[in-house]
Amino acid sequence: MDRIIRFAGVTKRYETEDRVVAIDSVDLEISRGERVAIMGPSGSGKSTLLNLISGLDEPTSGTVFFEDRALSEMNDNELTLMRRKKIGLIFQTFNLLPTLTATENVSLPLRLDGMRRRTANARAVELLTRVGLNERLTHRPDELSGGERQRIAIARSLVFNPPVLLADEPTGNLDSHTGADIIELLDKLHDEFQTTVVLVTHNSSAAEHCERRFTMLDGKIVSSNE
Amino acid sequence: MNSGLKLVTLRQWSRHKLRLSLTVLGIALGVAVFFAVRTTNRTLVDSLNSTIEKLAGKATLQIAAGDEGFPVDVLKTVRATHGVELAEPVTETIANTVEPANEKLLILGLDVGSDLKLYSDLFEEGDMAIKNPLAFTSRADSIAVTRKFADRFSLKDGDTLRLQTLTGEKTFTVRGVFRSEGSGEIFDGNVAVMDIAAAQSAFGKTGKLDRIDVMNSADVPTDELAAGLRSQLPAGIKVVRPNLRGQALENAVSSMHFGLTIMSFLALTICIFIIFNSFSISLNQRWKEIGILRAIGVDRGGIMRMFLTEAVVLGVIGSLLGIAGGVGLARVAIIVVSRVTATFYGAITSGKAFSIDYVFALEAVGIGIATSILAAWLPARAASHLRPVLALTNIETRQKEYGLNKIRIIIGVGFVIAGLLLVRYSRAGIGMNIQMFYFVFVQFGMILLLPMFIRLGSKVLRPVLGKLFGIEGIIAVETMAAAPRRTVSTVGALMIGLSFVIAHAGFIQSQKAALDHSLDKTLGADFVLSSSNQLNARTYHFSEATAERLAALPEATATDVISVSAVELGGEEISLMSHKMDAYFTMSPDLLDYGDPAPARAAAVHGEGALISNNLSFRANLKLGDRIRIDSPTGTLELPIVGMFDYFRSEKGTIFIDRELYKKYWNDSRVDYVFLNVKPGTDRGVFKQKIQDTIVGEQAFVYTHEEFKAWASRLIDQFFALTYLQMVIAILVAAIGLVNTMVISVSERRRELGIFRAIGGLRRQVAKMVMLEAVAIGLIGLFTGVITGLFSAYFLVNTAAKVVAGFTINLVFPYSITLMSIPLVLAVAALSAFFPAFNAARIRIAEAIGYE
Repeated sequence: MDRIIRFAGVTKRYETEDRVVAIDSVDLEISRGERVAIMGPSGSGKSTLLNLISGLDEPTSGTVFFEDRALSEMNDNELTLMRRKKIGLIFQTFNLLPTLTATENVSLPLRLDGMRRRTANARAVELLTRVGLNERLTHRPDELSGGERQRIAIARSLVFNPPVLLADEPTGNLDSHTGADIIELLDKLHDEFQTTVVLVTHNSSAAEHCERRFTMLDGKIVSSNE
Repeated sequence: MNSGLKLVTLRQWSRHKLRLSLTVLGIALGVAVFFAVRTTNRTLVDSLNSTIEKLAGKATLQIAAGDEGFPVDVLKTVRATHGVELAEPVTETIANTVEPANEKLLILGLDVGSDLKLYSDLFEEGDMAIKNPLAFTSRADSIAVTRKFADRFSLKDGDTLRLQTLTGEKTFTVRGVFRSEGSGEIFDGNVAVMDIAAAQSAFGKTGKLDRIDVMNSADVPTDELAAGLRSQLPAGIKVVRPNLRGQALENAVSSMHFGLTIMSFLALTICIFIIFNSFSISLNQRWKEIGILRAIGVDRGGIMRMFLTEAVVLGVIGSLLGIAGGVGLARVAIIVVSRVTATFYGAITSGKAFSIDYVFALEAVGIGIATSILAAWLPARAASHLRPVLALTNIETRQKEYGLNKIRIIIGVGFVIAGLLLVRYSRAGIGMNIQMFYFVFVQFGMILLLPMFIRLGSKVLRPVLGKLFGIEGIIAVETMAAAPRRTVSTVGALMIGLSFVIAHAGFIQSQKAALDHSLDKTLGADFVLSSSNQLNARTYHFSEATAERLAALPEATATDVISVSAVELGGEEISLMSHKMDAYFTMSPDLLDYGDPAPARAAAVHGEGALISNNLSFRANLKLGDRIRIDSPTGTLELPIVGMFDYFRSEKGTIFIDRELYKKYWNDSRVDYVFLNVKPGTDRGVFKQKIQDTIVGEQAFVYTHEEFKAWASRLIDQFFALTYLQMVIAILVAAIGLVNTMVISVSERRRELGIFRAIGGLRRQVAKMVMLEAVAIGLIGLFTGVITGLFSAYFLVNTAAKVVAGFTINLVFPYSITLMSIPLVLAVAALSAFFPAFNAARIRIAEAIGYE
């Protein structure tokens, strides 16, 4: 399998009074189509790792590569376009735009890319149907349950068929039953699209759905199932 | 407020300094306008009263008869009346100086030979430095000036001063300097004293007095003396206490005060929108914090008190700043208003120093706080009713917005329609206080309809901005439409500000159009000569001989000779114009709106009938055929009304009588205007020069018909000078509302913008979106502002103009101002969004997403 994400000696320090080291000299490779779970206690650096992969944050030292291209060589527009088309982001707090309906939230990245509204909405409806929300197309986030919101977020993340899905505690705000449904949905989508999934989670049963599992502590990868 | 909640609030303030500053600025502006308007009104009235009182010296009664004065013989009658201790004859003239140039100098003609006890504040303690009293009284060129005037122009005894007199420029010699107190204090010290005989001669008042200042003897009460004097004098000569003369002037400027007061309340309304917006946004920013506070045991009342206490504190700070700003604004407004008062009401204001009225200041602080609490009430209530669980866990519920509410729309439409129907059909004389509610109904209805306008506006703008600016335009409109709470308050502030501008522009243009139409009907003359370039200047006049010389010019086919005066009717000062009626009807054949022209002309020409303006007919409920009684210095004149027409010279009304009748009753042959018609084919430029050559040496302003109309139009602009200033303030306040919204909107939507960036929004797309949202808000504000402005203009022309002055004018749409508003609003919107857009584009995504 070819490599899609690589960390080469990546460190991320926050220049606060106590100089927090969120990521400490991490080397990591993730291949295309893999499912990787990253576990660890709060503050261990899991979310920072995802932020560095998506270019939302920059490393203090070392290099992050995406499809063998160093993110540090990309300008802001290139990073944004990478996020738009090649990375699907799923957050614990869903991060939907509250003023938009389910369809509008999902179609937004397409429309940012210049796609006509009708076409973008058709694609959004297709994905929302795929995640079981065809009855909730015109609802706003505040009219939906937590599980439904997360399904919208997942549909949005898949709208460009991205090669990578980054999921940060996608079940963290959900009850166990709904959380299990979401993980099942991610499995199904992975099988269907062969998407690389990087899953940050506290939930060990969710992590068991992934072939590779790492544990982080104080910014370092301290164990893996390999 | 609980100290814990105080701590939370203070931390919020330190974190959101910009929101705080803009809120305080909004309150400060509203309070500044309110305070400035009240202070200006009060200062002007005080100043008018102070002028009257100071000019009266120690007099307890004054005898006066309007602009044309009264015969000097009256002095004998007065002095012979039992109870008169002192009676001093006075003439008052405002003369233009030639050297030093372009000063207005109030010249008091006094009997310098007497001991001038009534004016001891001018001359006591040897301060009246007349080196040679005999020379002062015996030489007609003698003049005494205030020390202030002397110092300003480095004048000393023996220096000369050139003044424009009735018969041309004349040189006067300074033979005295007096204190700049009492009468000398008014007019910023531009006061001079001449011997009365010399003043009468120089300014065409020979044989006449402007007033007599009277002091009663100790054994006769003032009122008793006044009654005694009235019984001896003709009805046209008034005997009044000096302070009552001030009230008459106060009455004259009441319509101007009314306009100013409306403005101050509008400023406060805009202020409410700004504060409401700010507190709504504060609520959104603090959603989770409120959830936490509720979770740890703060009750609803505590949350409500926290918000309202914040409103009170911001209200106090904003109000205090507003008073500081209001002082500066009042200083400018007083200058403008004083000029308007002098030009239009012929009223001189004293140099009364501007001072802060602490009662007004306290009132303004109270109003500022009340406004702040009122505007913060709904957000505070919403905050106190938050469900803690939702606030803590469901971020997306933050933005729960209200949709379109049908009942709200029905009520809004109902208010607008009711307001407009009342403006159109209700009786005009109900009273301005009640009729003001028509205006309030329309404004309130439009505010209720704002969400509907925003919804409709977004439907229209969405494809337009989408076509022009792509997806960012569409998202900007959708974001705006999806957040009506935020959008409504900004559009509301813009709507009120712009409606003020459009309404007043419409009103001014309607006034100008009505005046233009009226002048076409009532001023058929080819040329107009005026003795002054002001509407109510009472100093310079032409003689009849001058009018005759002009009439004798071979090109002249008809000559009308007019004098302007004032009479009292029903307790109000009405303009009295005397025309050579035959010439007037010849020059203006379509003069009358009501009345049969031929018999009306015959009656007017023979002094057997009067014409009146339509506004006098409305105000005094006079109809054709009614008889009016006009008091003159020689007795009461009673005439039937034979014709009526629109005439806008006086807000109180105008009476027109034949010149010969006027001369007979008022014993006054002075001329203020000459209207001339010339033979067809006469070269206007050449003839204008010929007129100027004929009247060389006299102060005269010569206009062609069109030039006179342009001058009248400029006069309207001068009258509304303060309104133009108010328009600028209204736009400024509305712009602050927009800046407030955009700055806070970006800070409020930080997380949303972070998400937008996280899922692939480019920086330029974010910036463009923020800018376009502001433009969309601006355009809807503009649209609603124009609609509300037109409704308000309809109110102003149909109700306010009718009630205040009895004027009937038709609404003219202010195309130019409306068109000018479009780029202005767009520019304001773009400017206000520029820095927020810049900041939005540079948002740190990871931080913004974890912002809550």
